[in-house]
Amino acid sequence: MAVATLLQREGLLAAPQKPIFDERFSLEPKVPAFVPKARAMISLFMHGGPSHMDLTDPKPELTRLHGTEYGENVHFSFINRASKKLLGSPWKFQKHGQCGTEISELLPGLASIVDDITLVRSMHTGANGHEVSIRYWHGGIPGVTGRPTMGSWISYALGSAVDNLPAYLVLTDPGGHPVDGVSNWSNGWLPALYQGTVVRAKEPRIFNLHPPAGLRGKPQEHYLRFLNELNQDHLRRHPGEHDLEARIAGYELAAQMQTAAADALDISGESEATKKLYGIDHKETKEYGTRCLIARRLVERGVRFVQLFLNGQPWDNHTNISSALPAVCRRTDIPSAALVKDLNQRGLLDSTIVHWGGEIGRLPVTENNGQPDNFGRDHNGQGFSAWFAGGGFKAGITYGETDEVGHRAVVNKVTPNHIQATILKLFGVDYSKLHYRDNGQERSLTDGRECRVIDEILA
Amino acid sequence: MALPSLVFSVVEAITQGVTAHYPMTGCFRAIISTCFLVLFFAKAAGQPAALTFERDIRPILKEFCFDCHGAQKELKGGLDLRLRRLIAKGGEHGAALVPGKPEESLLLTQLREGDMPPEGKKVPEEKVEVIARWIVGGAPTMRDEPESLAAGEVFMTEEERAYWAFLPIVKPAIPEVDAPRVRTPIDALITAAGGEGFSFAPDADAYTLLRRVALGLTGLPPLEDELELAKQDLSGPGFDQVLDRFLSSPHYGERWARHWLDVAGYADSEGANNADTERAWAWKYRDYVIRAFNDDKPFDRFILEQLAGDELVPQPHKNLNPEQIELLAATGFLRMAADPTGTGGGNTVQTRNQTIADTLQIVSSAFLGLSLHCARCHDHRYDPIPQRDYYQLRAIFEPAFNPAAWKAPSSRAISLYTDDDHKRAAEIEAEAKVILDEKNKRQAALIQEAITAELKKCPEDQQEILRQALNTPGDKRDADQKKLLASYPNLNITGGNLYQYNNKGAEEVKSYDKKASDVRAKKPPHSYVRALTEAPGVQVSTKLYHQGDANQPTGDPLVPAPLTIAASPAERPAFAENDPKRETTGRRTAYAQWITNGRHPLVARVLVNRIWMHHFGEGLVPTPGEFGILGARPIHPELLDYLAHEFMTNGWSVKHLHRLIMRSTVYRQSSVASPSTAERKFAKWPLHRLDAETLRDRTLVASGVLTRTQFGEPVPVKANDAGQFRIDSNRRSIYAQVRRSKPITFLQSFDAPDMKTNCNRRPTSNAATQALVVMNGDFHQAQAKNMAERVRNSGDVHAQIKQAFARAYGRPPSENEMQRSQSFLETEGVTLELFCHALLSSNEFLYVD
Repeated sequence: MAVATLLQREGLLAAPQKPIFDERFSLEPKVPAFVPKARAMISLFMHGGPSHMDLTDPKPELTRLHGTEYGENVHFSFINRASKKLLGSPWKFQKHGQCGTEISELLPGLASIVDDITLVRSMHTGANGHEVSIRYWHGGIPGVTGRPTMGSWISYALGSAVDNLPAYLVLTDPGGHPVDGVSNWSNGWLPALYQGTVVRAKEPRIFNLHPPAGLRGKPQEHYLRFLNELNQDHLRRHPGEHDLEARIAGYELAAQMQTAAADALDISGESEATKKLYGIDHKETKEYGTRCLIARRLVERGVRFVQLFLNGQPWDNHTNISSALPAVCRRTDIPSAALVKDLNQRGLLDSTIVHWGGEIGRLPVTENNGQPDNFGRDHNGQGFSAWFAGGGFKAGITYGETDEVGHRAVVNKVTPNHIQATILKLFGVDYSKLHYRDNGQERSLTDGRECRVIDEILA
Repeated sequence: MALPSLVFSVVEAITQGVTAHYPMTGCFRAIISTCFLVLFFAKAAGQPAALTFERDIRPILKEFCFDCHGAQKELKGGLDLRLRRLIAKGGEHGAALVPGKPEESLLLTQLREGDMPPEGKKVPEEKVEVIARWIVGGAPTMRDEPESLAAGEVFMTEEERAYWAFLPIVKPAIPEVDAPRVRTPIDALITAAGGEGFSFAPDADAYTLLRRVALGLTGLPPLEDELELAKQDLSGPGFDQVLDRFLSSPHYGERWARHWLDVAGYADSEGANNADTERAWAWKYRDYVIRAFNDDKPFDRFILEQLAGDELVPQPHKNLNPEQIELLAATGFLRMAADPTGTGGGNTVQTRNQTIADTLQIVSSAFLGLSLHCARCHDHRYDPIPQRDYYQLRAIFEPAFNPAAWKAPSSRAISLYTDDDHKRAAEIEAEAKVILDEKNKRQAALIQEAITAELKKCPEDQQEILRQALNTPGDKRDADQKKLLASYPNLNITGGNLYQYNNKGAEEVKSYDKKASDVRAKKPPHSYVRALTEAPGVQVSTKLYHQGDANQPTGDPLVPAPLTIAASPAERPAFAENDPKRETTGRRTAYAQWITNGRHPLVARVLVNRIWMHHFGEGLVPTPGEFGILGARPIHPELLDYLAHEFMTNGWSVKHLHRLIMRSTVYRQSSVASPSTAERKFAKWPLHRLDAETLRDRTLVASGVLTRTQFGEPVPVKANDAGQFRIDSNRRSIYAQVRRSKPITFLQSFDAPDMKTNCNRRPTSNAATQALVVMNGDFHQAQAKNMAERVRNSGDVHAQIKQAFARAYGRPPSENEMQRSQSFLETEGVTLELFCHALLSSNEFLYVD
């Protein structure tokens, strides 16, 4: 026992073991492992599965085989309406820009920025279900809920570049939450401060951001001053307690946030030309355009990660694709392209990643038994498209291919894990080294899954 | 440690955990081999110790390579890496190790070139270099290697068995320390270990101490007459009275149940998918836990009831008495895991097995402080837990869960209706039936009366044939009759439309329904308990699942047994597959009794560590759910063992443990250390933020609106129009519904867990959003208003300030504070409400010091 006591004195208490993790989490900015290209990211998430054969991935062979029976195995989600008749795209594709990337007539906005983007035509989740693939994109593992999203990981890894706005903001649709609800911006088992903060489409835009009527203005100033006196006095009685100091700073920050966030969300000072660029002068694009413009204003101010969601899943065109798909394109295409153009003209695109894409794509065969008046397409996680602009992605390229009818990714297959690793790298973070210890377990975004950075699409 | 280094140095921390710290902590415990000591002192003197296979190399290979090269019967490439000599012998490609020659050692070159492991995580460079240095140094072992190993057997090394957490709990000798502040053995242990110049901070003042005790034990602040206690001398026996008072409070159980519910993963919904179906009757387990803490149920008994309460109630589970109901409610513990099997498409082989796996994870983190789920698919990569052990442990629970005859969530509730209840209900139903018969009679008469009146309105020549048609039963009418009646819809009079013909009569008929339902209301109410119950005589076998896949059971059926590492080789029992004295297998009862037999190395350590953590904000082992190699080492191992030993030898009484801890100087000292010892561990009370529930409850007490009703159905969670989740109630937070998909926004922002599996330790975050919640949120607005209303009536401004300080801080204001508060209140535009709001927002309110 004497030896034990000796060891205890010498070996343990005198030099306590370094704690495995620190309890005080904050959004203090942190220096990444290597020089980052991207400082911020805006993700335009397209819930439902945009139909790549009709939008971004032209398939002349599919057009030629239109109406014939497809010989390959197809995994259907809705077997009661399934059909194996191939469905050529009713829309025309044309080459655009200097790169000559072919884009559908449904996306004139995208067509105007093809020289600025990396278009990945070989996305693959391997699962056709919405939730399974959504969780793959956000949390790194197909189908698993309760994991931190990429926005949480980025906030955790890098903190916030701005101290009067949250690091991770989510702009939700006025129509309501997307499929999978709040899981889309969950902090999972990371501390709650890395959760996405929702900016709602109507007042109150951010919960608790604005003081209620009785507290606005002078009264709140008095309150904050007196609160600060109480806290400073308390701190004097507890010298050296950093946690108390941090919390005092938290109130200052919160007070600043009230004005900073209101300012960031107020687009009234934007020029008419800018508003027009985003389609804010147009009924169909006004709402989404406004949110895209707010997204720019947020990253301009130093917000790390902004994600835009649509309500429900408007790209889930099982039926009536001939009217529903053009409608959602009209709503989102011009604003999405405007965001890239606007970031570009302000010199922000180099340091801001823009992502556009859904969780899955759609099948080359028709759904609803091929009824000519209301046909559509079923889910397809085997092959689909997504595009990326800025922040270190190459400009004016396409990457990867699906097969001749657009069913499966066959050349340079890309999974959401690859995208996650690639994006983290642009932020200066090594995906294999970004860890968090959850009850002794070392966890990461891709959690040991097969993964790599796709250097081929990086500038 | 600043966060950036945290983010990028975790790998480093792990490396240290597995290599450098491993032998030091291993040797720290009583069993010390000479070579360990030599090693320690060599290290202390700054000389690098020679790398050895057992200590430095095998853990790396176990983590990255054993899956293909040792842990399975089939060896990839014929290469076995379990022993040094087997590595040297090599496989199909020849010798994998040439001592002294790293370049010729395939083991190293394969790792360096990244060829191995072929997929999954690569071996970090620094670990590869450890292997290189070991080879350069001649690739030594510490001792002779076993002469033979069964195929696929991953034996446990002496080093693994000597890891501190797996060694027996030994009551330490209490050092004789001559220091005036040493009140208890805890103080003596801490002072002795604290080294030269260690001293405790002075005792906290009485108000602070009172607040600390009240918040710590009940989660509620002292108020009114309780504050009077601060006027006594608390340095002596007066303090015991304070402890007694709060330990006997009915609110004590609510506070400590909340801690345990985190560990159990308590939720009022099933989770695991978007439906997140509500889980009716789960709250009976919550109430059981509250009562268990209030009654100071011996913890060994508490464990037994939670793991096997159903086996303590005779079959069939009918006509249950209150004690038996409690025993069944206790098994709610084993039904807490998220469970999608009750929703459409959610009930598959995979989800059933996932639910069982999550339950095992809850059991193992709660009682053993180990995360077992790694061992579900393969041998645990860090801790000595073979995959086989995992399935032997599962075999203990298999008969109760029985995935082949899976009980969906809706069929888990056991009715509490007794035979007497059924009899009484039948009698009452008969009474109601008499009333309803009367009603039917009366209704038929009134309908006939109305038809007669209507018939008179029909053309006279039709009346007779209409009457005949009406008198013919519906299914006997011919086509003409049907057609005829269809042209007179006004004759189609039923109980449902009678009111259109005779409103008064219809009301009269209705009054019978009211009478009948009043009678029926006298039936004994239905109530249920949600339990895990094993079916008598169930036949199951448990096999190891290849890679954790329930569709691939392999090998022979396994006998139920505890983890190998938890007992010395001579002591590890195999439990009877069927206890002949019981109707059920008795496996869980046997297991619960075994882990509480006083010789288990983990259970008591894990439990006392949690209790320490809830008092001080940090455990003696900072990772309360992970005592394995990936976890942190104990800050004071002897203190941990002292507490564990005391706990077990004093009837597993939690209240005894509270007294033991709280009477000590380390608990009673001030949160402000003397400057010379400020950085020393235990040299002051560690100030820390209140947890989410305590913060909300304390606010409700300060504002004077707390509803102290205990137990019962949870208060439902609602979304307000802004989409935030809240409850419309001033009851304590523990009674708020825990809907996994709808975490209460206020609680969540202060780190209440989103219940996925369970929560062993809450993080403490500090975000501006928390400040916004307090500044602008509905809850604080409302409570500031409530508090101001109560403060307003207390008299003049001085009395008001005193009252506000008592409510918020549980102490009187200083003179300076009185003046400052008064001048604040005299400022134009400042209201009493604003003043109260500031107090409720302040750090003094948010922290316990």
